[in-house]
Amino acid sequence: MSYDVTFQRRGLDALFDLKGRAGAIRGWAGDTLPQLPDRPNTRSSGGEVEVYYVGCDHWLARAPLDQEEMLEAQLQPATCPVEISIVRVSDTLSFFRVTGPDAPEVMAIACPLDLHEAAFAVDAVTYTEMFGLKALVLRCTGGFEFAVEQSFGDMVEDYLTRATV
Amino acid sequence: MGSSSRLASGGRINRDRPLRFRFNGKDYQGFEGDTLASALLANGVRVTARSFKYHRPRGIVGHGPEEPATLVELEGEDASGNRPATTVVLCEGLRAHSVNCWPSPDFDLGGISQLFARFIPAGFYYKTFKWPGWHLFEPSIRKAAGLAAAPATPPASGHFEARHAHADVLVAGAGPAGLKAALEAGRAGKRVFLADEGTEAGGSLLNRALTISARPAMDWVAEAVAELHGMKNVTHLQNATVWAYREHNLLIVNERSPEQDNILERSWRVRAGEVVIATGATERAMVFSGNDRPGVMLAASVQAYVNRWGVAPGKRVALFTNNNSAYAVAADLAAAGVIVTAILDSRKNVPPEALELVPDLPVHTATVAAGIFGHKRVRAVLAAPVSGGTPKWIRCDVLAHSGGWNPTVHLWSQSRSSLRYDEGIAAFLPDRAAQTCRAVGAAAGDLTLDRIVDGGADLPYAIEPLWRVDVPVQRGRAFLDIQNDVSVSDAQLALREGYSNVEHVKRYTTGGMGIDQGKTGNINIIGTVAMQQGVPLPQVGTTTFRAPYTPVSFGAIGGLREDSVLFPYRHTPVTQWNKDNGAVMYEAGARWRRPGYFPNPGENLQEAVNRECRAVREGVGVYDGSPLGTFELKGRDVPKFLDFIYSNVMSSLQPGDGRYGLMLSDDGLILDDGVAFRLDDHRWMISTSTGHADAVNQHMEKLLQTEFPGWQVMITTVTSQWNNATICGPRAREVMQALGTDIDLSPQAFPFMSLRDGTVAGFPARVVRVSFTGELSYEVNVAPRNMAALWDKVMEAGAPFGILPVGSESSHVLRVEKGFLSLGHEVDGTVDAYDLGMGWAMSKKKPDYLGKRSVMLRRAGGATRRELVGILPKDPDQQIPEGAPLTPGGHKQATEGLVTACVWSVVNRRWVGLALLENGQARHGETAHVRLRDAVIPVTVTEPVFHDPDGTRLRS
Amino acid sequence: MLLIPCPLCGKRSESEFIHGGPVGADRPDPNAVSDAEWVDYLTVAPNPLGPVQEKWWHARGCGEWLTIWRDTRTHDIVEAPDGIK
Repeated sequence: MSYDVTFQRRGLDALFDLKGRAGAIRGWAGDTLPQLPDRPNTRSSGGEVEVYYVGCDHWLARAPLDQEEMLEAQLQPATCPVEISIVRVSDTLSFFRVTGPDAPEVMAIACPLDLHEAAFAVDAVTYTEMFGLKALVLRCTGGFEFAVEQSFGDMVEDYLTRATV
Repeated sequence: MGSSSRLASGGRINRDRPLRFRFNGKDYQGFEGDTLASALLANGVRVTARSFKYHRPRGIVGHGPEEPATLVELEGEDASGNRPATTVVLCEGLRAHSVNCWPSPDFDLGGISQLFARFIPAGFYYKTFKWPGWHLFEPSIRKAAGLAAAPATPPASGHFEARHAHADVLVAGAGPAGLKAALEAGRAGKRVFLADEGTEAGGSLLNRALTISARPAMDWVAEAVAELHGMKNVTHLQNATVWAYREHNLLIVNERSPEQDNILERSWRVRAGEVVIATGATERAMVFSGNDRPGVMLAASVQAYVNRWGVAPGKRVALFTNNNSAYAVAADLAAAGVIVTAILDSRKNVPPEALELVPDLPVHTATVAAGIFGHKRVRAVLAAPVSGGTPKWIRCDVLAHSGGWNPTVHLWSQSRSSLRYDEGIAAFLPDRAAQTCRAVGAAAGDLTLDRIVDGGADLPYAIEPLWRVDVPVQRGRAFLDIQNDVSVSDAQLALREGYSNVEHVKRYTTGGMGIDQGKTGNINIIGTVAMQQGVPLPQVGTTTFRAPYTPVSFGAIGGLREDSVLFPYRHTPVTQWNKDNGAVMYEAGARWRRPGYFPNPGENLQEAVNRECRAVREGVGVYDGSPLGTFELKGRDVPKFLDFIYSNVMSSLQPGDGRYGLMLSDDGLILDDGVAFRLDDHRWMISTSTGHADAVNQHMEKLLQTEFPGWQVMITTVTSQWNNATICGPRAREVMQALGTDIDLSPQAFPFMSLRDGTVAGFPARVVRVSFTGELSYEVNVAPRNMAALWDKVMEAGAPFGILPVGSESSHVLRVEKGFLSLGHEVDGTVDAYDLGMGWAMSKKKPDYLGKRSVMLRRAGGATRRELVGILPKDPDQQIPEGAPLTPGGHKQATEGLVTACVWSVVNRRWVGLALLENGQARHGETAHVRLRDAVIPVTVTEPVFHDPDGTRLRS
Repeated sequence: MLLIPCPLCGKRSESEFIHGGPVGADRPDPNAVSDAEWVDYLTVAPNPLGPVQEKWWHARGCGEWLTIWRDTRTHDIVEAPDGIK
């Protein structure tokens, strides 16, 4: 018997890396982005755009790929004020979904972080480690979603295949 | 032999499920629920092993992981070595053999070394094999004294797994105390992780005939297990040993039979809020002459075989004890119909409640076992009065002995928690906890059930310690450590030779080492040292308990990490194209798998590389430069920051322009070389060498966060946002035009070391004019989603110009021809920019930047420097191995430098090289000598550039 | 495997971090110190038997460079000694 789980490698999403004070980002982004989450390692969403609070003065905005040009046009990375940094990073991450009853078990093979619901709530999102790599981890319907640096995508797929045979 | 030793009834075995197995080439039968040890005893097999050093015949001594004597190697698909027979769960078709004898333990040729036993005292190896070196002797000694070999092939099916877990409470051990602790925590709603090394829960209750509230104690166990299984917040594992207790309450558990049948073993790394150590206690051996003979067994193990496995290890059993627990053993034996021929008790006064258990058995007080009659099995024990009266032989076929009980404090001690010696039970007990942990039950010194579970009935414990039998009639070896053949005389010798610390005694005698780590005998070594030195036992102290508690397979520790994922690997969108087009792929730094070269059918490496290099020098080539580290920097203080981390000035760059630079660490070493481009007033992009991208990122973040938190610089890693195809060669511009671009490609509008955003072949692109080959180059950066398509278009547009893909082998040749640096080749921990002829990169204007002071300081000493030069072998067809030393005149003298690179130059049609050579910059034109083991190669020293020294081509 | 407190993320496994060495003296103005002082700055690092202040980079986490006091005898992460912030 193997694990009752499926995993899926995902296509691209629009991703923008946001750095600077929350107020400055809010001031520049206006209604383009939802309210920034106020607790680290949590997320907020508005419409199809999500914002992840992933580090000190550091956020990731994520939206379906078809929103990428619209977000680029509104966030204007090249001309935003000097005190904030906005960089399009859509291609830098490879996303995976692990879903099914045994998703927590498979995640626990890769990840040293406690992903039990008591420790990792529905709105949690954080950088941690998956298969020894820096990875962004969050919950999704029926399981977990995570992302690693894009160039490691094939290796992680290899790993997940081995873990779930 | 037959199943003569199996009792007619009883035991936790399934008599409806017979299992066939093979041991040392003979076929036997056991039952489901047996271990290999219980099945062998049931079949009357008495000699099961030969000892490590002297090849003495040995039998089964214990019933669990404490077993010192019988180690077996399993054969077949689950081959593994050095397994105590007592922990091998019997299964249909199991095949095993003893590890240390040939051809069999009954007739062992190695046993001849017993004749020389007196020549192998403690420290024998240290004394004998020290000249000219231990390594000369080690292989043959290992073979002679060997344990099992590692399996030659990996398991045929299934894989190992390692998994993380988190718990509020981790309970180690599912005996009565562990079950109780797990129940309490589980009922309180805590996340509980309960792991036990045995096949079923119950601990000592499995082996004893005790009651709780007048019902069989195992009924209580069954109810506790059922309740735990009903709790979602409880993970309960059997066959799972907690073998390491690490810092910050991290424990490692080895689960040997996971539910998933394709997982061989699983390693759990459990981070626990609190740890409950309920690991029970281990019976310790008595030390007397002949205590290693087959049939001399631990008393509680004899009891376990009778009660748990329905096996009587002997027909006539004598016991030897210094404590009460053996009386319960005797009572259980008598109840099972075994003849108890004597109980020898070293104590003068035996507590009446112990005697009441055995009203009809002959008890000899103040009497010790002083010898064993019998070689391959016990035939009689010599009972000697402590006071010195006449000893007499008492017949028996098993001698069951108990030297008392040691709380199993291995995990407790691994946690760095302290121990104290308790006179009451004559054992070391948990004292102060160093982490959030507590010991309970027998592990805490509560050795009887009534002290652990309400309603538990047990014989009170009492002991008078006896560390070794010391009566004059004793003859022959008395073993302190049966597995390593360490006897009392070895310990005495170690002490005489000055190894007075117990840790030194351990190393010198090897007592307490090996598979069992002295679980039954260590305390007796400590006791012997104490007796010899005339000090109280606590003053001697214990040796350090270290992980693992019991052996663990390497596979379980490694988990999934094997084969293709043994090391991480990175791909670019062109990886598949490379593979499809015959590239020889290998790792080329920072875990990137890259094409080394693209051989045509029948072509060797050199031919392929020459062809690729000619394309770049004469026509056009393209390589995938995606792995280069790329960072976008934003903020008011970026110019100041770049001027600080690069040795040259970057702040003067105008938007769209870039500069090559060196990054130094503050001790003056070269950390990286790369380029910096200014995108606009406040945005910059820098690129680093592939191999140092992570190091540079760490370096920059460390500076900004720990030393200059006030500087406004925000860094975003964009290595994987920008992939690039670098088109290089005299015809690169034509290929760019053929691709189609809105960027003006003329050298005036788009000169060397500048950057333009636009579109190329219809893709949004950032084109950078840098060159790592010395030719006209366009680094076309696009988003990775477009990279594979761009690559196809480049190959298509370049086809009329004969474009070739270029691998890392050719990149190496091309950069050597130009004398461009490679970190790790020309740049090591000794050279600075001046040595490399790059003094121009060391800014004179800037008063301070990283590394400046250190470089100046080092050079102020005026010591001779090794400087970068080119070398031309006098014989143009002579290749020189990279790394070869240069010595003055080629003589056998201290080296004056080394060859850092040597390649076949397609433009010069000869071998050319780079070298670091003492005072090299002043020696151009001179002859230097490469000294190899069997040859001296004269070379001409030159400028370190062999192609287009003025850089006309790369600027074109 | 330590459990290291990150000011942003809370306690995380050591495997998420990269060790950045002990906290040493502040970098002096290299143009205002003697050779000996400069060499001391580069080469003399605290290495006590007991609490030492260390830098760690939460490289696989939020990216924060943080400092902790770690007791070199026990691995315990401890409060800063009196008088030190």
